[in-house]
Amino acid sequence: MRSARDYTDIIGGLLLIAGGTWFMLYSTGYNIGSLRRMGPGYFPMVIGGLVLLFGVLVLLPGLFRAGQLPRPEWRPFLTISASILLFALIVERFGLIPATVALTLVAAVADNQSRVLRTVILAAALSAVAVGVFTQGLGIPIPAIRWSY
Amino acid sequence: MDMFANLALGFSEAFALQNLLYCFLGVFLGTFIGVLPGIGPLATISMLLPLTFYVPPTAALIMLAGIYYGAQYGGSTAAILMNLPGTPAAAVVCLDGYPMAKQGRAGVALFMTTIASFVGSTIGIVVLTAFSPTLAGVALAFGPADYFSMMLLGLVAAAALAQGSPAKGIAMVLAGLALGMVGTDVQTGQQRFTFDIPQLADGISLVALAMGLFGVSEVITSIMRMREVSRQKQESITLRSMVPTKSDVRQSWRAMLRGSGVGSFFGTLPGAGTTIASFIAYAVEKRLARKPERFGQGAVEGVSAPESASNASAQTAFIPTLTLGIPGDAVMALMLGAMIIQGIQPGPRLVTEHPELFWGLIASFWIGNVMLVILNIPMIGLWVRMLRIPYGILYPAILLFICIGVFSVNNSAFDVLLVMIFGIVGYVMVLLKFEPAPLVLGFILGPLMEEHLRRAMLLSRGDAMVFLERPISASFLALTFALLAWSLFSAIRSMQQRPRTAAAR
Repeated sequence: MRSARDYTDIIGGLLLIAGGTWFMLYSTGYNIGSLRRMGPGYFPMVIGGLVLLFGVLVLLPGLFRAGQLPRPEWRPFLTISASILLFALIVERFGLIPATVALTLVAAVADNQSRVLRTVILAAALSAVAVGVFTQGLGIPIPAIRWSY
Repeated sequence: MDMFANLALGFSEAFALQNLLYCFLGVFLGTFIGVLPGIGPLATISMLLPLTFYVPPTAALIMLAGIYYGAQYGGSTAAILMNLPGTPAAAVVCLDGYPMAKQGRAGVALFMTTIASFVGSTIGIVVLTAFSPTLAGVALAFGPADYFSMMLLGLVAAAALAQGSPAKGIAMVLAGLALGMVGTDVQTGQQRFTFDIPQLADGISLVALAMGLFGVSEVITSIMRMREVSRQKQESITLRSMVPTKSDVRQSWRAMLRGSGVGSFFGTLPGAGTTIASFIAYAVEKRLARKPERFGQGAVEGVSAPESASNASAQTAFIPTLTLGIPGDAVMALMLGAMIIQGIQPGPRLVTEHPELFWGLIASFWIGNVMLVILNIPMIGLWVRMLRIPYGILYPAILLFICIGVFSVNNSAFDVLLVMIFGIVGYVMVLLKFEPAPLVLGFILGPLMEEHLRRAMLLSRGDAMVFLERPISASFLALTFALLAWSLFSAIRSMQQRPRTAAAR
């Protein structure tokens, strides 16, 4: 979709301006110090200011030229993010196998051509690989399954 | 000759059975993950990092390095056959490699990339062997101000040479520097931007950041794209189809040498990296060509030059890492981390204090590259067959390996959560056309830069002129300034050209 302004750079510039401003203000809470003896707040404050400056430099040209609207693909974006979130929440509490199964099943939804049987087989196979290679082979200390939490 | 004695020491180390074995394992895995789109050397190295606790440092580093340069060989296979780069640097190979495949010359393209990779690597290794000890000697004289200016040059180079607008590149470098501030301040012990989360006290995990920005966002964008790719029919590659014609060879060998030169140079710059090297090598070939319109239509130089450049730069990238202790990209930062785990401090003293490790590693590069040629020419059919694995099976596996890889570095589920957050950030960056590579570099160099800046200012009693008074620092700053001026100039010129081309349309 074409638009009169380059919204890609306008959004990007605004995000940088917001982030830079916040970062700069937040670092004033630390000791700034002097040029000779810089405190922990000095460098972050300068960086925040520069992010703000370059945010403006990205934003301004975008206001005066045509561009394309970014078009997110919501389905893969949301399901992939959710699958990683589930892995992170499950792995320490319930072990590697439940986390692997959850990740595989949810991630499969991202592709609307996934088949149920193939996904189940894949989840089982990946669990076996994960436990065999990582817990047994490389000795990563995650139990395969843990029930108490 | 000193150099030959050193190399002899290196080869005797690298030919030890255990080291040979780990070298083979590294290059094999490297080729494997290089062929597969969506998983790069970074994920693989972080997954195998726990292994380095059990094997001696030389063997571990030989293997990790093998993964890195092995992936450069494999990356072009998917680029040529499916128009899909296996590694970011291989994106350039798509431009002419895929048209060659469509003309039925996939075999030749694959053969030329392997040869170009070998030529590039060999030249890169020669540069590495010849210059590292000298540079390490010079680097002993580097003060904090010099280090700061050098890193500044690296960051500006990464931003200015990245694709897209230089302003966006510099903005990403700065965002990376800001993210690098998270954690405990080394000099005062002050917790910065940690929001009282204990897992952030040591800073944001580099692996989590890089995997989110590169790995996860790559998977999200690939799912839709791969569906179109999977409909294509694939031909099998026979050894006979790989034989290049005389004119292929004649057109390529100069391109390979030029590409290797470009790659060797950009590899040594902290921050430029393999992707930039291959893009610039392609641009150079196109400019020098008598018929530039052949490019994009299956010109063999368009495949061999960037391929040799990316491999040469993969080798010379070890120069700043090993001799200065400054990593040029995320993979090198991880290698640096692996050395520190083993109690080896990379830097100017590495060459003299651990000669067996330093020269053993370099000798293993040579051995590894010979192995890679054998893996890639007679065994090409195996790698091609791997590309037939449907992406629907591949991407859950890639996600799982990313999660386990990140988890295993610190045994922390919090890091996996960070992967999700940076995956979201990375996808937003893809949508808004921001490059992740400069951000990661800024993140890596940020804490180092701050430390050297503060030390330099303390030593000079707050006099900022110290950066111009020291000759080494001043020349780095002059280069930085020239680069900025050049990118400003080319940005203005392209802005003036744009309305004209729009009117022509």
